[in-house]
Amino acid sequence: MGRKPTSPQSGRQLPPRWADRLLEWFVAPHLLDYVQGDLYETFHKQVIEIGPARARRAYIWAVLHCLTPFFAKRQKAEPSRIIDYKYPKPLLSNMLSNYLTIAFRNLWRHKAFTAINIVGLAVGLATCLLIVLFVLHELSYDRYHAHADRLYRVTLHGRVDAKDINLAYACGPTGQTLLQECPGVEAVTRLRREGAFLVKQGENIVKEENVSFVDSNFFSMFNFHMLKGSQTKVLTEPNTLVLTKTIAHKYFGQADPIGKTLSMGKLGLFRITGVCEDVPSNTHFHCDMFGSLLSVKTGNKWLASGAYTYIRLREGYSIQQVEGISRGFVSKYMASEIKEFFGMTLSEFLQKGNGFGFVFQPIKSIHLRSNLDDELEPNSDIKYVYIFSVIALFILLLACINFMNLSTVGSAGRSKEVGIRKVLGSVRKQLVSQFLTESVLLTFLALGLALGLVLFLLPGFNALAGKQFTLSAILNGKMLVGVVVACLVIGLLAGSYPAFVLSSFKPIMVLNGRMQVNLRSGWLRNALVTVQFVVSIGMMIATIVANQQLRFMQNKKVGFDKEQVLVLHDTHVLGPKLNAFRDELAKLSSVIQVSKAGFLPAGSSSQSVDGIQIQDGVRSGIYRTKSYYVDDDYLSTLGIRLAQGRNFSKAYPSDKSAVLLNEAAVREYGFKNSPIGKQLSTVGDGTEGSKQTYTVIGVVKDFHFESMHQRIAPLLLFYGGDNGQLALRIRTDDIPSLLSTIEQRWKAETDNPFAYSFLNERFNTMYQSDQRIGQLVSIFAGLAVVIACLGLFGLAAFTTHQRTKEIGVRKVLGASAASIITLLLTNYLKLIFIALLIASPIAGYIMSQWLRDFAYKIEVEWWFFALAGGLAVAVAVLTVSYQAIKAALMNPVKSLRTQ
Amino acid sequence: MKKTVLGELEEMVLLIVAASTEDVYGVPVMEQLQQQTGRSFTISAVHTTLYRLEEKGFLRSSVGGATAERGGRSKRLFSLTTEGGRVLLEIQQMRTRLWGAIPQGKFQLLGL
Repeated sequence: MGRKPTSPQSGRQLPPRWADRLLEWFVAPHLLDYVQGDLYETFHKQVIEIGPARARRAYIWAVLHCLTPFFAKRQKAEPSRIIDYKYPKPLLSNMLSNYLTIAFRNLWRHKAFTAINIVGLAVGLATCLLIVLFVLHELSYDRYHAHADRLYRVTLHGRVDAKDINLAYACGPTGQTLLQECPGVEAVTRLRREGAFLVKQGENIVKEENVSFVDSNFFSMFNFHMLKGSQTKVLTEPNTLVLTKTIAHKYFGQADPIGKTLSMGKLGLFRITGVCEDVPSNTHFHCDMFGSLLSVKTGNKWLASGAYTYIRLREGYSIQQVEGISRGFVSKYMASEIKEFFGMTLSEFLQKGNGFGFVFQPIKSIHLRSNLDDELEPNSDIKYVYIFSVIALFILLLACINFMNLSTVGSAGRSKEVGIRKVLGSVRKQLVSQFLTESVLLTFLALGLALGLVLFLLPGFNALAGKQFTLSAILNGKMLVGVVVACLVIGLLAGSYPAFVLSSFKPIMVLNGRMQVNLRSGWLRNALVTVQFVVSIGMMIATIVANQQLRFMQNKKVGFDKEQVLVLHDTHVLGPKLNAFRDELAKLSSVIQVSKAGFLPAGSSSQSVDGIQIQDGVRSGIYRTKSYYVDDDYLSTLGIRLAQGRNFSKAYPSDKSAVLLNEAAVREYGFKNSPIGKQLSTVGDGTEGSKQTYTVIGVVKDFHFESMHQRIAPLLLFYGGDNGQLALRIRTDDIPSLLSTIEQRWKAETDNPFAYSFLNERFNTMYQSDQRIGQLVSIFAGLAVVIACLGLFGLAAFTTHQRTKEIGVRKVLGASAASIITLLLTNYLKLIFIALLIASPIAGYIMSQWLRDFAYKIEVEWWFFALAGGLAVAVAVLTVSYQAIKAALMNPVKSLRTQ
Repeated sequence: MKKTVLGELEEMVLLIVAASTEDVYGVPVMEQLQQQTGRSFTISAVHTTLYRLEEKGFLRSSVGGATAERGGRSKRLFSLTTEGGRVLLEIQQMRTRLWGAIPQGKFQLLGL
């Protein structure tokens, strides 16, 4: 735009600058001169005619009129009218290949820098990818069923004797009654669990944990595709069985299992009528075998039977309607049973604050939002989805910040290149594209590496997260498209800062050798580094708190001796031979004592809850209390101590009706003096015959029979002994040989599989999910620190390089190496200190929220923060000091000679 | 040129260019328009019209000299093409035909 300088006579008045700029920006170059010239001419005439102020206004008005598409339209390559462009514009593809070539050369020239950048981003991306996989899988639970949004599970909630009851199943008759009475219920299906089964096929006996008994319409409600057998007819008869593909293969290999039989524990022979697909991993229950519900007793009492009940809502009906109708069931059907079981009328029952009700859970929300008693499987928690999403976001943020910082810093050395390019006629747009291409290229290289990393880490991650992800989970279309788009966005965002900053350099400044001010001040970089350290320090604090709590739970005195206790499983199969077997084991030298211990703290054991009535003369109340059935060796085998009274003993025949309490129960029942000799009775199922009276003979010290998430609950110990398991107090260093001895004896008695566990291990597995979280958080904290350090390393390299001359001058003037190192370090230490100040309260708050889940917990102490801060400082110093020392030891002659 | 239909503004601008003895650019055209019609026009409207007429082949343009007033920016000068002259004539003939078709005494009846 060959604009000559304005002559002095017209310099008196000028139109508003901004309007001019607007015009210059908006109007296409091939039209601009003529329009602007005409506007100026008019303006000057008007200045004389109507005065400068009005002329200006008229000018602005005229400019605004020019903002039409006609003037905005740039000229197509039609060389007749343009003089400005002598050369044809190169095609985009040509430019792109040029950008790529230059980008590759640049990345190759700064190998170390590129490597740091790519590795940092790849680690971040890989972590993020894994977490996204995890989160998506968690969110996908039970969404694949046909009409999943109309499927609900009926759960029973109630309050009896000031205790809340929240059960994942509903009363046995609930389903049928709902189907009859609610027009909105289209179909109902039920599922029952009967525990593990010893499945016998010929001579082989295998223990199967995942056996369910379901209604015949189960497979039309849930989408488990039938591979063999008819979807609707497979389970219409008693003692029929449907196997999943895997299990069918396990028992029958390639042979057709239809019509074959398996013996299912006590229930006898089952005929296989169908084979279905494996239950998808994203289902809130997992079954390998489905028996027909007709094969098991279900009972028809509302208060004494239960089944997991699922309903499908008819289209156009709301679940509130169904819920409303279900509220009537209590008075309609349950009143008589309440009379029978609790001995009071419904109104009395309700008056005492008791009650029952049904809650309908959308099936899609069960996995993440349901935490009821007797869930089919322990569910996950939406909390973890949030936590991990936030962590993923943070890690990605860290990686992006890093990437941005390093790209900016890395390209700062290229200001000369920018200057030359501009002098040679590069347009700003081209420079921006150049830098953006580079950063996108870098992102995609990082993505490639990240995918490799994910492949490599997938097995470990699966083990940690308890999932079975395969490659196809990542490489499916949707995921891949999402990832590529995300990378593109990251590349563009991260590249935008350097691209725009660098391309705005004035060539004259750069080529004069004057470095850019805006790159040196770098408050943005400092802020970014601080954010990185806030995240890493926060995660370090979280790790410390989580690990302290886990250690605390594992080391806290549990009230019994959990070391050196061996537990044998499924000992009930020995039947009458059990006592002999027990005595035989007790004779072994390394076995101190043996007890029948179906009820054990921690891990899968029997569970029993009774309504207990206290007869204190003065008052009576009913308490629902957990109870154990134990034999006389139980306390000494487990090392549980007595606080008062005595243990059960064979010497007292009356001990059949004796009971031991724990201290919590004594407190709960409100015994003022010694409870010894007091009487209490069980309510049983409400009938007179099932009521039994017991005499308290002793009190045991409280011991943790449940996880530390809960306070120690009241517990009753009845004399009986449950045959389900044997607990062995052992004393040996040679556990394998002891195990093989016991296994031989076992094999001599029965064909059933020999299974055992150690009490301390069972105890630890109780905290598996807590431990998993702890492990994941520490891994992510480690990653965050690694990423932050990579960034810091690159940054330190850059700043030290920039200050080479300064350091040289300082050394010449007599600064010691130490003082220079301090100089370089303080800058970063300041940032870390600020980060610690920001991170501590946030992390402290979040972790104290987490700790609220535990009844027994540690306090968040100041040294957690100090330790995290110290670690961050140490890591940062280690990272930066390499650069700092190198710079400090450099010969000033060399550094001053540069430039 | 299919699109020989001219709008009112286009016709007026074309006439103004035709009326001038030498090549004209935006500003004089705008001034003439204002003078003749008494209405005000913006530069952008005039330019848009001029360029459109050039596109239709009724005007041709060349780059003209810059003045200090214009901040050293050159002018785009327009002159009438044969095609432009023809189209003006056509319009005039059509108008004359239409005028001729008005019955005598019509205007007197209306009191004009």
